Amino acid sequence: MNAEQKRAWFVLGAFGLACVAFAVWILTIGVRGAWGAFGLLGLGGFRVLFRRRERIDERDAVISRRAALAAGMVSYLAFVLGCMGVWFVAFAWHRQGQVSVHMFPAVTIAGGTVFFLAHSVAILVLYGRHVEAKDV
Amino acid sequence: MSKITNCIRRLRFDHGEMTQEELAHRAGCTRQTIIALEAGKYTPSLALAFRIARAFDRRVEEVFVFEEPDRTE
Repeated sequence: MNAEQKRAWFVLGAFGLACVAFAVWILTIGVRGAWGAFGLLGLGGFRVLFRRRERIDERDAVISRRAALAAGMVSYLAFVLGCMGVWFVAFAWHRQGQVSVHMFPAVTIAGGTVFFLAHSVAILVLYGRHVEAKDV
Repeated sequence: MSKITNCIRRLRFDHGEMTQEELAHRAGCTRQTIIALEAGKYTPSLALAFRIARAFDRRVEEVFVFEEPDRTE
């Protein structure tokens, strides 16, 4: 397992820890306070501690590019769906004439979080699959 | 769909039981890439294919085999 795979597992581990904390805090302090559990996602920033000792070759570059492309597509889709979801809740559900300005940073942060999660998953999947050097 | 296979593992053993690490060093790639090549999980670029062949002092066609599917007429 190389440094990229270790970083990917570390990010997914931080997300798993945040989900567990969210579930526990929902039961103890309620839904409103439980959202703070996702602050644990910040632990994923420590992934930079996994420094790469070996060289980066063409296979690593191909996988890195494909993972970034996949993560970008998924995060953009998540951002669009998030915006549409917020609109749906505001107009169709609550019959409100406008969406709160506080929703935009929440949707943006959610899109960014999805990027890192999708990138980690893509890294782990691509290192286990057949890849060709001609791939983007 | 076309497929490229190789006999890197056999050539390694034929060359004094060369290790994957040594071959990776000679070819300018990582050991993980050599493992993926031997498992058929990676199709290398032309440059890497040439470097691997040169490491064995062989031609590219002797290391990598291009298999084209039978075309029905």
